[in-house]
Amino acid sequence: MFDIDFNNSGAVVVSGRLDAAQAPKAQEFLDRVLDECIVDMSALEYISSAGLGVLLKTHKRLMVNASQLRLINVNSHINDIFRYSGFDKLFIIDTASS
Amino acid sequence: MRKRYKRSFEEIQKIVADTEQFFAQDNIDESLRMKVDLSLEELFVNMVTYNTETICEILIEMKPIDNGIEVSLTDHDVNRFDPTASGQVDVDAPLADRTPGGLGLYLVLKMADSINYEYHGRTSKITFTNKVAEADV
Repeated sequence: MFDIDFNNSGAVVVSGRLDAAQAPKAQEFLDRVLDECIVDMSALEYISSAGLGVLLKTHKRLMVNASQLRLINVNSHINDIFRYSGFDKLFIIDTASS
Repeated sequence: MRKRYKRSFEEIQKIVADTEQFFAQDNIDESLRMKVDLSLEELFVNMVTYNTETICEILIEMKPIDNGIEVSLTDHDVNRFDPTASGQVDVDAPLADRTPGGLGLYLVLKMADSINYEYHGRTSKITFTNKVAEADV
């Protein structure tokens, strides 16, 4: 199960498992984001390379206009994936404990 | 556990459910779940995406080993593709040079404690293991 939506503050909230089957849903949603955007990952349980690709593609598109994705409340497992992938050098990431 | 899955990303949900059940039944350490789920998905997706010359279902087998789990994926009537010989990604490259492709197998090689590839009679079999670190046992 995966879900993605805006919260009342305008942040994107993702929850569940962002795998290859769900990546098109995430990409379709994030394609509508046109400006600086916070992605709250407190309820995201899992991400695979398909999900990483969605984040990377969106981040690169926003950076053209000097905007970006900022990832917050990232749990330790997903933060490990970000570190292995080098995403910690590409994104501003706030872990759940920081 | 020994089950066959259709060549569709929609099967990932079933694989996750079957993995969860196997971990519970065989008392596999839950700390290995994320790594196993990730490697299983990446290898399965790779087979579905690139082994398009076959219509055979993909066989997934799991068995407990000392302090861990051994998982294999078998794909029939396919060309040779050794995932252990790929996975070179420059994770230090700047954003402009990064592309979404290639990360999956790179992550598998990072996550697995061991990985082995066999190819006989147009059948590919990839086996990987994940173990709890000795300090955590």
